[in-house]
Order: sequence, then C-alpha cells, then structure tokens
Amino acid sequence: MRIKAKTKKGITTVKAMAKHPMMSYDEAKKKHKTANFITYITAEHNGEIVYELNSTQFLSKNPYIKFKFKGGAKKEKIIITWVDLSGKKKVSKGKIK
Amino acid sequence: MNRRELLKFGMGLIAASVALPSALNAENFRKTKPMVWKAKTPADAMKDLFGASTYTESGVKLKAPDIAENGAVIPITIKKVPAGTKTIAVFQDANPESATAVFTVHPRSIVSDYAIRIKMKKTGKVTVVANVDGKLYGASKTVKVTIGGCGG
Repeated sequence: MRIKAKTKKGITTVKAMAKHPMMSYDEAKKKHKTANFITYITAEHNGEIVYELNSTQFLSKNPYIKFKFKGGAKKEKIIITWVDLSGKKKVSKGKIK
Repeated sequence: MNRRELLKFGMGLIAASVALPSALNAENFRKTKPMVWKAKTPADAMKDLFGASTYTESGVKLKAPDIAENGAVIPITIKKVPAGTKTIAVFQDANPESATAVFTVHPRSIVSDYAIRIKMKKTGKVTVVANVDGKLYGASKTVKVTIGGCGG
C-alpha cells in the first residue's frame, strides 16, 4: 500500500492507495472468478486507531483513501492494515513527513 | 426447589483477524451487522445499520461530481459531519446493494476531507449519514454516470 502522510499544525493528512482488484460479485460472475474485495481498513498511530473503514465491493479498484487525524509528528510511523473477503491481511507502514 | 441452569454463552466479539491495539469502539460491521451489506435500498441499509431510515438534512457536507465520466471511479469526499459523530455511512442506490462504506470515528479522527472512490453502475444518488448518539444527520447528491462513449 502506498502511503503519503504529512503533518501540519497538529493535524496529519494521509493519502493511501491499496493494490487490490476489488472484484464485485457481478464482476466475478462475468469473469468466472471468485469475488474478492477489501472489507476492512484501519490506520494506527502510536498504538491508537485513528481511522477505521468497513468497505464493500463498491469501492473502486486499487482503493484510494484520504483522511486526517489529530497529532502526528515528522518521522513518526503510521500503520495501515487491510483485510479482504478471502481473509488476507496486509500491513503497510508509512512515515509522516 | 427450582434449579435453573443458566447457560451463559460468552458472546465474545471476535476482533476479526486483525489484532487491534486500543480498539475501544472498533467494530467490524461485516461481522456484527451482516444484513447491512445485503440491503438493496439506502433506506433498508440505514435501518439495518442505524435503526432508522430517515435523517435530518443538516450538519453533513458531501462533495461528489455532478457528472462522472467513469462510473468505476467516482470521488466522494465527506467534508464535514456534526461534532460527536461516531459512525458515518455512505450509501448509493445505483448498485445491487446499497451500503458502500461505513467509517467509525475514533477520538483522534478528524472528519474533514474523508475521501474514497466508489463505483456506480448507473446514475444514482449518493447519501452520507452520520450517527450522533442515535440521531441521524445526512446529505445526498445525485451523480450522473455516463458509461463509455461521449456522454448521452
């Protein structure tokens, strides 16, 4: 997952993009494949969850998210985790600039 | 003497497969509210998720394009929600099921410019609903989807 995080005046803005086909049930039927899409995304900073999303098959392919949270300082880490319908979990780390 | 056996089933909330740190109100709605994801209309999905199918049109600012050339990538931005919002849901009425995304607001979350990109099969209405302790506030916007070719 590509993560871009910038902090300014006590607020950190994060833009991230996951690589995932986000194949909906309809698309899967047409392509004779199994539907699979990210269903859960969380972002963590200093051991606290600062963003949480329950997502669906209706998010675009290679889902892009943008969000903000209080706090965060340069060089600190932000960890974004996603889980998909098949149970696969991916953890990515980004550095706040 | 009446001996009653109380079987207590520990209904432990299995925190999915994600090891969450201080997850005070983290909720995997896919596990706790499975019907939300199957509901076909925004009203039904809203009812399954929040217990009500109407909301007050104020306090929520939603940004979405008037016309989306590409129905597969429609940028949606939640610019503002009322203070005290705990959960925000995005619905649309252009796809087979209505629920599109549900955000849980955490103590350090700042909900201004919360952006995602969604898919819509055809022209439809995108609705964002914020739950403030049971009171629902929301906003909606119709997005025209021109699929393939030069519009129309």
